[in-house]
Parts: sequence; structure tokens; C-alpha cells
Amino acid sequence: MSNVIETNQLTKRFGDVLAVDAINLRVGVGEIYGFLGLNGAGKTTTIRALLGMISPSEGDVKVLGQAVGPNGRGPWAQVGHLVESPSAYPELTVRENLDIARRMHAKDDAKLVDEIIEQLSLASYADRTAGTLSMGNLQRLGLARALLHNPELLILDEPANGLDPAGVIEIRELLRTLAHDEGVTIFMSSHILTEVDKLASRIGIIHEGKLIEELIAADLEKLRTRRLEIRARNLEAAKLCLNSAGYKFVMKDGTIIMDNAHAIERSDDIARILVNAGIPPTHLAVVQQNLEEHFMQLTGGVQ
Amino acid sequence: MMKNFSAALWAETLKVRRSKVMLFTSIGFFILPLVGGLFMIILKDPEAAKSMGLISTKAQIVGGSADWPSFFSMITQGTAIAGAFIFAIVTIWSFGREFSDRTVKELLALPTSREAMVTAKFTVVAAWTLVLTLAMFVVSLIVGALVNIPDFSSELIGNSFIDVLGSTLLNILLLPYAALLASTGRGYMPPFGFTLLTVALAQIAIVTGWGDWFPWAVPGLFSGAAGPRAELLGLHGYVIVVIASIIGLGATFYWWRTADQTK
Repeated sequence: MSNVIETNQLTKRFGDVLAVDAINLRVGVGEIYGFLGLNGAGKTTTIRALLGMISPSEGDVKVLGQAVGPNGRGPWAQVGHLVESPSAYPELTVRENLDIARRMHAKDDAKLVDEIIEQLSLASYADRTAGTLSMGNLQRLGLARALLHNPELLILDEPANGLDPAGVIEIRELLRTLAHDEGVTIFMSSHILTEVDKLASRIGIIHEGKLIEELIAADLEKLRTRRLEIRARNLEAAKLCLNSAGYKFVMKDGTIIMDNAHAIERSDDIARILVNAGIPPTHLAVVQQNLEEHFMQLTGGVQ
Repeated sequence: MMKNFSAALWAETLKVRRSKVMLFTSIGFFILPLVGGLFMIILKDPEAAKSMGLISTKAQIVGGSADWPSFFSMITQGTAIAGAFIFAIVTIWSFGREFSDRTVKELLALPTSREAMVTAKFTVVAAWTLVLTLAMFVVSLIVGALVNIPDFSSELIGNSFIDVLGSTLLNILLLPYAALLASTGRGYMPPFGFTLLTVALAQIAIVTGWGDWFPWAVPGLFSGAAGPRAELLGLHGYVIVVIASIIGLGATFYWWRTADQTK
């Protein structure tokens, strides 16, 4: 099995609405795949199709080498999932909710529940009913349910939702450990792009139902490259001045961009050259593009 | 197909045990013998009954006389009508809560099959309604004994028990429709509306003489609400209920197996 997740021309229509448009996903063993998209881009629909909760209109889905659905068929004993906002039976305690999940996964070892409660820092809430939990703790309960049976694949929709900053870091480290130390494959969607940027080994960007770009770790690293941006009232004069000073640059949207390390280190000198030439820059800054910026450029949207 | 049924049954039992639905349906159902007992007290003393206005009038209509046959007649007919509501409430809660609490998405991608989960829900609902009916029958015996009404016989108890149990079983057979509508409607309101509609239509069907052809009227006819069972209800009436039940069950299982779950 080369791919843990494989979709071929996965398409889903709801009436006239094309929610997912011919997506071809390939996620390998041990990867952390970040799945990004604006609200309504098709992330959750894709995740539901991966989990057999909805049937594709066209195309097919394979998880852990096994065809998913119809009729809920799939390798679910090896898959943990968290879809959209976390939910639990409100009248049952955290422990009881997890015990239901343990039994539904046909796991006989009752200690699994205690272990996951400990791992997800839920010990002080274990005997509280789920209906009294905060959003953050409900999210922890959802993650505990996803991790309880030691799955080979985790499919997580917004795993950091509702968590406080410390919780976000804690879950990030937990997921990283699971992927790196235990070889668990993680497919996660998130709107917290910095989180995905920090965690994912590969990123897919979905927009209006289409997978418009996939970035591997090297692409992500490239995105983080610093550059010097310069704008001036007399842009042509500034270009001539920098040319004659021997600096190489490219133009983008009325901005002079220099991405070589030499220029970035000598930004003070460049500013001085322009000022002395009577072309004071209106904007001169060393910037580092990040995933968020790239994502916004690509989707042209507002998160 | 029924993979891990015991786990699903354990889960459903725990959910019912922890919910308030047991308490509320018990209260709702135990009111029946208590109201019957109250009517018997009123009917035992006609002078007191006259001084009580509306309640005594109603008691005259329903019960007629203060004795065990009248009391059990009320209980049997009440089981058929109140049971249609109360048993439906248990079913609607069992299926509809997965959508209103948004827990259904936790049930769909598990090694425990969806068929096992639906079967477990129906099993728990059927078991609970049967337990409720048996408990209500026992409470009826106690209430009748406390009110001290005449014409008690073991044969009457046996026949009344068959009437009550039969009405309950016929009502249980029709519960898949409440489950189906709680599932397809993804919540409580559509099946509640459907239950009210079927009870109303059953009354119309009985009054117009077509009750034996309308499945939801059959439990009422079985209970003797419209007259002697043998005169009003032939074999075809039971067959219609069984066929309706099979269709409802099949549709519920089919929906759980194949419907897109977007909530």
C-alpha cells in the first residue's frame, strides 16, 4: 500500500451545487497532510467522503488500500476521526462517552480509556457529564475519541478548534509525536494556517471544490524566504539607480523585489543610495511571505 | 452485517439509562391506571360524581360502571392510544437525538456496523416499551385492588393482559416510521407531526369503518375501543400491520446504510 488516502476524480454534487470537483488526493504513510480552504471550499465534504459519510457523485475513495463505501464500508478499525465541531452525549460522563467509543471499536482493554484521558489532560473532567464541558474540553474529548484505539490514520477537521493557545501547542506536539514516532498518518483541515504551516509535511489547497495547489515541505520552505520590498514615488528613477549600483531585482505590482541574501543584508545601504540619489523610498522593508499570504493570494479570499 | 451488535446494545442501554426519557415516559404511562382508578372512584359513588360536573360526565362516557371489566377496558384502550404517543416518543428520542446532539457523525465510520446500531436502537426501544407496559399492568392491578371494585376474575386478568400486550406489540410494529422520520428529518419535529397525524387519521378510519385497512388504527381496534375485536378486525388487519412494519424497518435500515450524512 503506497497511499494511505487515495481519491480518484472525487466529485460531490448537492443538487446544483458542485461541492467537490474531481479531486485527486494522494497521502502517503506517516505524512501530515494539511488541507486548507476557505469556508465552503469543500474541506468538510471531502473529509466526509473519505470517511464514507457521503457517497461520491463521481470518482472513488480508498483509505488504507480499501475502497470506502457504499453502505459505510471501510477500514474504520484503523481510522480515527474528528469531523467539524466536537459532539458527545451530553448526559454521559467523559469516561462513559469514551467507553462507548472503545466498545464500538471492539477494543476489550478498558485501560485504554484511562490512558487516553491521561494523555489528553482530561483526568479532572473524567467523571463530569459532557454537557458541562467547555468548548476546548469538548474538543479534547473529540480528539481522545479519535485517538483511543491507536489508529494508523487520523482524519481531523479543525483539530485546534476551541483550544486555548497552550492547548493548541499541546495538541500540535501530540500530533507531531504520533506522526514522527509512531508513523501515524494525519490528514487535517484547518483554518489556522500558521498551525498547518508548523505541522504539515504537505499541504493541499482547495478552492471552490477544486484542489488548486499542493505544496511539499520544500515549497513551504521556499515560501518562508525573505525578500526586500521597495516602493518609491519615482519608480523608474529608483530602478535605474539600483541597476547602476549593481543590484538585481524583479518588479511585482509596482514594487521592486530583491530576494538575494546580499541585498537583504545591505538594506540600509540600499536606502542610503536611494536617498542620496534624491529618490527616497516610500516603503522599504524586509518581509517574509508565509503560508497565510500565499493562501490569500491564491484564493483571493478572506478567511 | 451485524458486526459488534453487543457493543451497540450496551451503548444504547447506557444512553437510555442516563436519559430523562425513562422517567418522563414512565410518568406519562403510569398516569393511565391512576386516572382509571380515579374514574372508578367517581363511578362508585354517583352522587359524588354528579357534584363533580365535567369529570363525572367524562367518566360515565368512558367507563360506564365501576368494576374490573370497565377498569381494564379503559386501561386497554388507553394503552392503544397513549402507547401510540409514548412509545413513539421513546423511538423519536432514540433516533432523533443523534441528529439534535450532532452525535450521528460519531456513529458512521466505526467497526460497529450501522445495521448493528439501528438494530440495537430498535431492541432497546422495544424492550423499554414492553417493560413499561408490564409495569403499567402491574400498577393497574394494584390501583384496581386499592379502589376495591367488583367482578374480579383470573380469566379477566388473562384476557386483559392479552389485550394490553397485543395493543403494545401492534404499536411496537409501527414504530419504525417514527424512527425513519426522526432519521430522514434529522430531528424530533417531523416524527412528532407524523405521530399526531396517524393518531388523528386512525380515529377517522375507525369512525368511517375502514380502520382494519389502516395500520395505525389496528392497535385501537385490537384494544376494543370501537367494539368487539372479532367483529372489527380480521386477519388482513394484522397482515397489513406486519407488512407496514417490514416496509418501515427496511426503509430505516436502507436510509442508515445509504443516505448522505451531512450533519
